[in-house]
Amino acid sequence: MKKLLMASTLAVTFGSGVQAQETEIRVHYAIPTIWADTQQLLADAFMEQNPDIQITLDGAAEGYEDGVQRLLRESISGTGPDVAYVGLNLWRVLEDRGLAQPLDGYLGDDPLSQGYTPALLSLGQFEDTQYALATSASTLVMYVNPVLVEQAGGSMEDFPDTFDGVIELAAKIDAIDAATDGVWIAPHDWRFQSLLGSYGGRPMNEDESDITFDSPEGIAAAGLYQRFAEEGGMKSYSENDARQTFPAGTLGIMFESSSLQARFAEGAGDKFDLTVKPLPVAAEDDSQVYFPTGGSAIVMLTDDEAKQQAAWDYMAFVTGPEGQKIIVENTGYAPANALVIEDESYLGNFYADNPNARVAHTQVANYAGPWYAFPGPDGVAATDLIAAALVEVTEGADTEATIEDLADTLRGILGMQ
Amino acid sequence: MRLSRSKREGLTDLWLAGPATLALLAFIFIPVAIVAVLSFTNYQFGALTFDWTGFDNYIALFSSSVGRRAVTNTLIYVAIVIPFSVGFGLLVAVGLYQMTQWAPRWSNVFKTIYFLPVAATLVAMSVAWQMVLHPSLGIVNQALFSAGLPTPSWLSDRSLVLYTLAMIGVWQSIGYNMVLFLAGLAAIPAELYDAAEVDGAGGSWSRFWTVTWPMLGPTTLFVMVVTATNAFRVFETVATMTKGGPAFASDTLVYALYREGFVYFKAGYASAITMVFFAFLLVLAVIQFRVVARRVHYR
Repeated sequence: MKKLLMASTLAVTFGSGVQAQETEIRVHYAIPTIWADTQQLLADAFMEQNPDIQITLDGAAEGYEDGVQRLLRESISGTGPDVAYVGLNLWRVLEDRGLAQPLDGYLGDDPLSQGYTPALLSLGQFEDTQYALATSASTLVMYVNPVLVEQAGGSMEDFPDTFDGVIELAAKIDAIDAATDGVWIAPHDWRFQSLLGSYGGRPMNEDESDITFDSPEGIAAAGLYQRFAEEGGMKSYSENDARQTFPAGTLGIMFESSSLQARFAEGAGDKFDLTVKPLPVAAEDDSQVYFPTGGSAIVMLTDDEAKQQAAWDYMAFVTGPEGQKIIVENTGYAPANALVIEDESYLGNFYADNPNARVAHTQVANYAGPWYAFPGPDGVAATDLIAAALVEVTEGADTEATIEDLADTLRGILGMQ
Repeated sequence: MRLSRSKREGLTDLWLAGPATLALLAFIFIPVAIVAVLSFTNYQFGALTFDWTGFDNYIALFSSSVGRRAVTNTLIYVAIVIPFSVGFGLLVAVGLYQMTQWAPRWSNVFKTIYFLPVAATLVAMSVAWQMVLHPSLGIVNQALFSAGLPTPSWLSDRSLVLYTLAMIGVWQSIGYNMVLFLAGLAAIPAELYDAAEVDGAGGSWSRFWTVTWPMLGPTTLFVMVVTATNAFRVFETVATMTKGGPAFASDTLVYALYREGFVYFKAGYASAITMVFFAFLLVLAVIQFRVVARRVHYR
């Protein structure tokens, strides 16, 4: 593959008979705390293979929201970058403004052979057009503190794989003493969609014309928040609070993004042996289950045809096995390319050293699904309303009524009525 | 050509005031006018087109429960912060001013300590507060816990979070108000106290009520205006500690403005919030100058 790529690059260079002209590709990315070093490694590795393309990294945006905002601003002033890494739930904003270029022409007829499985491609598709390619993936997993599980009389080998079992164990951990908490999950759209997917439900119907989480699956998924609070003793932590509590060793089970693994392992240090467990699957029909995937995607923004080919070469590299290996080893995200998982030569050693990463990445490979972005200008506002409703359910409001109200409110603001 | 004296003076005036006026127009009035225009559209950040929507954005702000909560939360916050931060600022200033007479060194040490929160970056301080107020690991709740008292979730309890933020707002602004009051106190002529004593106002209370407090009138007016505008602008603590949550319980006008404009990309709606925010500040300034200025008669 690599040889073929180099050979074709050489053929193009010599075939045209011109001195290799340097094309500059400007790359935008966000969240420097996770990405800064990795981006430099990716750019260096790519430029080594493609000496005729110069990769220039823009100063990183603080977060994905800031980043998209900056991209929109730059598009107005005509100073935008050529490719951009954006949140998997945010590239639709760029598509909506006509900034993201379709990629189908570059993907070829057989994307599967390059490691782009239909599940992975689905993360960047809208109305049968490919606008984005996933570059890193994460799903919701359970982080477990084995010390507290042992103290509560539970067993790590025989760890519960149902929500009932998890709640029962959480209650026991919570009962250890007043300073110890059983379980925590953030009241948040992505977490809710994950639980919903575990029950086999969907937030919206196929053509995104109606909300469908006011189903028995959705009510059961939201009901978990109340059960965590009432039976498992979940406290009303803010996300930051919880992310401090868990590494401190006073929280038994935390549902969080698999991308936080490195940070938690570091925080836990010698206090306990951080263990990652897959999210329980609640639906009887396994084929209905999917876990919405967080992480980042790469989009092509340049509409200059000469630049597009170079931009695509870069995108193909970072979403290909070599780029993915760099991303996985340096960020803790799961790869978004099947080849890199199937071929042991890429990450075999990494997984041998990081069994927790294998758990998380296998879950991505088996159950990756789209993180639904609600359509229209109020799409992001809808996610905040979901979070607010989950807080109410957690604090004891009637689950069914709250979720049905929420669904009606969302239909109203999203123009679905 | 010789210009008449009045024309020359007119040109000089133009030359002196013109650049500042132009800058004021370019950087304040025109942007505000653009925001005002945008507030009547459904413009989305980065979009190529927009529609005129009349007063829809304003109606949405005052009729949606989220919008109304942002407005009421801001008013509650301001209503707590103004009296407490002005009151405590005055108390601390009077105390430290008296202290200068018998322990000037300690007085200066305390002045520095009280001023520290003002000098420190509020964002960094917010992170510190978050750790101090952490529901189980924070020093406040650890202390309450060992004393056998209930340990509230200061920043994640919906009924408490706004008051916690207001308390931090008070903490942050006391030092600034103290400095302003100290300057006001230093400007009070000592003869007035002597005269008051001759007239029989010898006790500290009567000295305060007959001399200090009336003489501090202009300072108090200024302090209140500054405190109120700062309180209305509350943003950093909300953004860093609660993000307006849980469930919009600590959503304020400026945070809602940020959220709508820069997270939801709804520039039109965010502009409407901005105009409401301006209106609040304007009304506040007018009320304070009208009402309080009437009582500051001897200036």
